[in-house]
Amino acid sequence: MSHIAFQPKGPEVELEADYVVVGSGAGGATAAHALARGGAKVMLVEAGPWRDPEDYPSSMYGTMRDMFEDFGATIAQGRAFWPVVQGALVGGSTVINSAIAVQTPADVFVRWEREHGVGGNGFRDALWKIQDDLSRELHATEVPPLARGKHNEYAMAASQKLGIEGHFMHRYVRDCEGKGQCLQGCKSKRKQSMNITFIPDMQQRGGTVVSCAPVDEVLFERGAAIGVTGTFRKPVTHERGAIRAKRGVLIAASVTQSPLILKRSGLRSRAIGEQFRSHPGAPIIGVYDEPIDMNQGATQGWASLAYREKPGFKLETLSLPLDMLAGRLSGGGAQLMQRLEEYRHFACWVQACRAESVGRVEAGPFGKPVVKYTLDRADMERFREGLVLVAKMHFAQGARAVLPGIHGMPYSLSRDEHGVSGLYIADASAIPSNLGVNPQHTIMALSRLWSEQILAQA
Amino acid sequence: MIALIRSAMCDLMPATEHLPGVGDTGVTEFLHTVKRESGQMYWVGLVIGAWVYALTPFMTVFVPLPAFFLPASLRDKHAQRIMSTRLYLIRQAVFLVRLSAGLCWGRDPRVRERLGLSAYPLDPGTYRTT
Repeated sequence: MSHIAFQPKGPEVELEADYVVVGSGAGGATAAHALARGGAKVMLVEAGPWRDPEDYPSSMYGTMRDMFEDFGATIAQGRAFWPVVQGALVGGSTVINSAIAVQTPADVFVRWEREHGVGGNGFRDALWKIQDDLSRELHATEVPPLARGKHNEYAMAASQKLGIEGHFMHRYVRDCEGKGQCLQGCKSKRKQSMNITFIPDMQQRGGTVVSCAPVDEVLFERGAAIGVTGTFRKPVTHERGAIRAKRGVLIAASVTQSPLILKRSGLRSRAIGEQFRSHPGAPIIGVYDEPIDMNQGATQGWASLAYREKPGFKLETLSLPLDMLAGRLSGGGAQLMQRLEEYRHFACWVQACRAESVGRVEAGPFGKPVVKYTLDRADMERFREGLVLVAKMHFAQGARAVLPGIHGMPYSLSRDEHGVSGLYIADASAIPSNLGVNPQHTIMALSRLWSEQILAQA
Repeated sequence: MIALIRSAMCDLMPATEHLPGVGDTGVTEFLHTVKRESGQMYWVGLVIGAWVYALTPFMTVFVPLPAFFLPASLRDKHAQRIMSTRLYLIRQAVFLVRLSAGLCWGRDPRVRERLGLSAYPLDPGTYRTT
């Protein structure tokens, strides 16, 4: 049996594998795939359901209901509220993100070595090699000309006018059609999300997916992780399930969920849930005389890393569907509606700050994760500087007006965690600093590297 | 409660000469669906946002009446001003109401047609069970 969705009322579900991997996003699916490829029997446990591309919704309401964690209501709280958007289905956020593949920058390894004693040239070379392999396996390519759309091409033209480095993104997308629906999941199966790539491959190698099964806690015996327990849902049967792991448990449930699972499991390390980091961003919408039709073309197709190191932000395009933009545009009443009449003339570009501020993940009401996160003054200044630059780009490209209008990481340095054996962390929680680039490629490479090391040591 | 939220949404996204408002896009049915399908936190946030919107005209248009008792012109002024108030928590509370209004309005086929966008197919709401 390679997929267990839920179990009707009956005896407690009991399963067994060599490794149990909790979470099926970029980190979890890559780890499960690497372990299965190495000959291990793997159970991949996911809290959300398994939706195939034909199950994907089209509207943003359907997307929030069917694909976002907690209806998109997970937020970082501080002096401001930032949405923390995460996928809640098999494949995790890889189903709803823009599949951006950016090699981990060299300076990141230097910083990790200096500040945390990990990294160095050997580590860098190993990770880069894995990233090259991942790029080949998942068809990471530059956004093709026919899929760019005016929205991304205008950003490139604007950056060239201002002399700012800019490039069309590399993404895990095969022959992109430029339908502008990355956020709702790619129904054309062009985006190489984990649910259509590594996870089916893992199943073919004997692995099993357990969906609709949020994990409550990790089971320990004599200081070693021996499995997980949880309760099946969708439909809610309140059926308990236990999966025993003969060789180890990998937690990759996301930066917000992994710390809560570890805490519920009785681990008391002060590091758990600390050191949350993110790239908080905000859009500036340019209003142009000619139609831009940002709903056509790659959702995110252009980026600039020119200011990544100093002052510390990245610039990107981000097309928003009408039903999302209507809620995010500033204003209300007739004024808002008049603005919305010009939807086809909008281009939405974003600055995402490489924030140095650090937050914390805690358990909130109903056991949901709550992120406490406030940007310090230096980050706010970076943030403003980025927004001003985006506005300048719009004006340089001929916008007649601009309309001013979030993302995440807790802490651990090693994959073997918190004074117990057989328990590993394999998601963005294990990244010790803000990368200043999209983290998915780094998460996947780290996850594969550690999984291969776990197998080698077994 | 649904009537209160609907009233706030209709003020925030009224019909114009060129576009239908959220009140023309089946918002009552939408709210029943949201209540049934969304998490508790989301619904509670929506209710709080609608109350905040209803009880704050004294801050924006300086009239000590709930928003739903105001004449149309003042309601529009209140909708504009509450979304740009410098009081962050107030603005943020109403934000969820407007976000939900946008979700309902932006998926409506007539709205999309007016803006030259193709209609969304039905959201299947399905997933693998085996």
